Amino acid sequence: MSDAPIIRFVDVHKSFGSLSVLKGVSFDIPRGQTTAIIGPSGTGKSVLIKHVVGLLEPDSGHIWVDDVDMAHASESQKLAVRKRFGMLFQGGALFDSLTAGENVAFPLRYHTRMSEAERRAKAEEKLALVELPGLYDRPTSALSGGQRKRVGLARAIVLEPEVVLFDEPNSGLDPMTSDTIDALIGRMKQELGMTFVVITHDIVSCLNIADRIGMLYDGKLIEYGTVDQFLHSNQAIVRDFLKRNADLPPASGPLIPPP
Amino acid sequence: MNALAEFGRFGLFVATFARASATHPPPVRRSIEEAYRIGVLSLPILLIISAFVGTNLALQGYNAFAPLGGQRLVGMFVALAGVRELAPMMVASMVAAKAGTEMASQIAVMRIREQIDALEVMAINPHWFLITPRFIGILLVLPPLTVISIFTLTVSSYLVSTLQLGLNGAEFLAYFTDTTEPMDLVYCMIKAFFFGIIICLVSCFYGFNSKSGPNGVGEATNASVVVSAVSCALLNYLMSEILFSGRGL
Repeated sequence: MSDAPIIRFVDVHKSFGSLSVLKGVSFDIPRGQTTAIIGPSGTGKSVLIKHVVGLLEPDSGHIWVDDVDMAHASESQKLAVRKRFGMLFQGGALFDSLTAGENVAFPLRYHTRMSEAERRAKAEEKLALVELPGLYDRPTSALSGGQRKRVGLARAIVLEPEVVLFDEPNSGLDPMTSDTIDALIGRMKQELGMTFVVITHDIVSCLNIADRIGMLYDGKLIEYGTVDQFLHSNQAIVRDFLKRNADLPPASGPLIPPP
Repeated sequence: MNALAEFGRFGLFVATFARASATHPPPVRRSIEEAYRIGVLSLPILLIISAFVGTNLALQGYNAFAPLGGQRLVGMFVALAGVRELAPMMVASMVAAKAGTEMASQIAVMRIREQIDALEVMAINPHWFLITPRFIGILLVLPPLTVISIFTLTVSSYLVSTLQLGLNGAEFLAYFTDTTEPMDLVYCMIKAFFFGIIICLVSCFYGFNSKSGPNGVGEATNASVVVSAVSCALLNYLMSEILFSGRGL
């Protein structure tokens, strides 16, 4: 496996009208690790992650995915990059007209030559991986918030991508379901060896799953490093952000229990 | 200035859709499903409205011509006003109100729930996936719906003319057929074809560009039906001028 970062942000600026959201963000996302970007709500975390797959284009700067600059990539280059990615959206972004399993099988229909039976088998395998066995035929309207996230996650990994992006995987979930999602992400990282990029405002969740943490604040990445480096940051804003989480665990690495 | 910018965005949207459709295989099964759905959605209301427009055309034609002793001209009036003008516009309005608003609201909801973003991340072109089947579907059904509307409108006006107003049926039909010819039906279907293009592209455009929240969906739906109806009315005038100008009665 190459040591070169899989994703590289170089001086990325993005504004919406007069609102400047990203003000020169530069950092590297290493291959095969879980990188979490945290920050208060409304600081542009989702905007940042959407640049990686070309859903948004920067006003200036570069977003390199290996040797493709997504800021200036052609449509065909973007398509090729997107095939290497999976993404879990905040609300799951499941298609309401399909069942849970059909949602998971959906990318297989358009990117593989699998028969319907093979697609179903693959989707059921991924549903089992996210601890939702037997839910293939359940309508999405009958899924709970946590189940929707897990079905979204199963869909994100069904093509076995190199990188999975998570946009607020814990938002809107109760603490127990949130812990379940964290454990699932940690287990999948160990089992699948993919690169994970997680956008969250939940510091506890972040410490549970991340190898590296960056903090986005006022359009800039004010801190970025390993979990220990992050917990011992000299940045006042980082320390304030951490202080607000009184139940923070000790800075001794990820909290995922061994399998 | 805003309208010009909006028109520019619409042009880009249409170009993106055209390129997506040209570079992907046509989604045959989903297009047929859409055609069936649009047709079934719009047919009941269309039959009812067409029937009553026909009845009223007969009544108003009679009111206008009878004092002058020209009640026999009701058939001609129905042919000119009903067949050439009202039926295609009525079909366009009904389809814009039923199927067009459904397209706009469905796509707007998909936009705000990030389902369109999800399609893009899954490397599935959303313009091809969401618009192409609706586009083919509406083009398949709008011309036949127009023919059905013309037939319904003509039958209802004939029935009112003969059974209620006491006009001679043979005379009604003679004036009707003298005024229309088979090409009129073809021209009406051509009108319907272009109305279908407008309704689909306008509705999908507003759905794709919906702002977030329930208000955004409402605004997109409202804008889709208003802009579709006004555009179809304008196009109807231009096409009538081109297709029927100089043909007389």
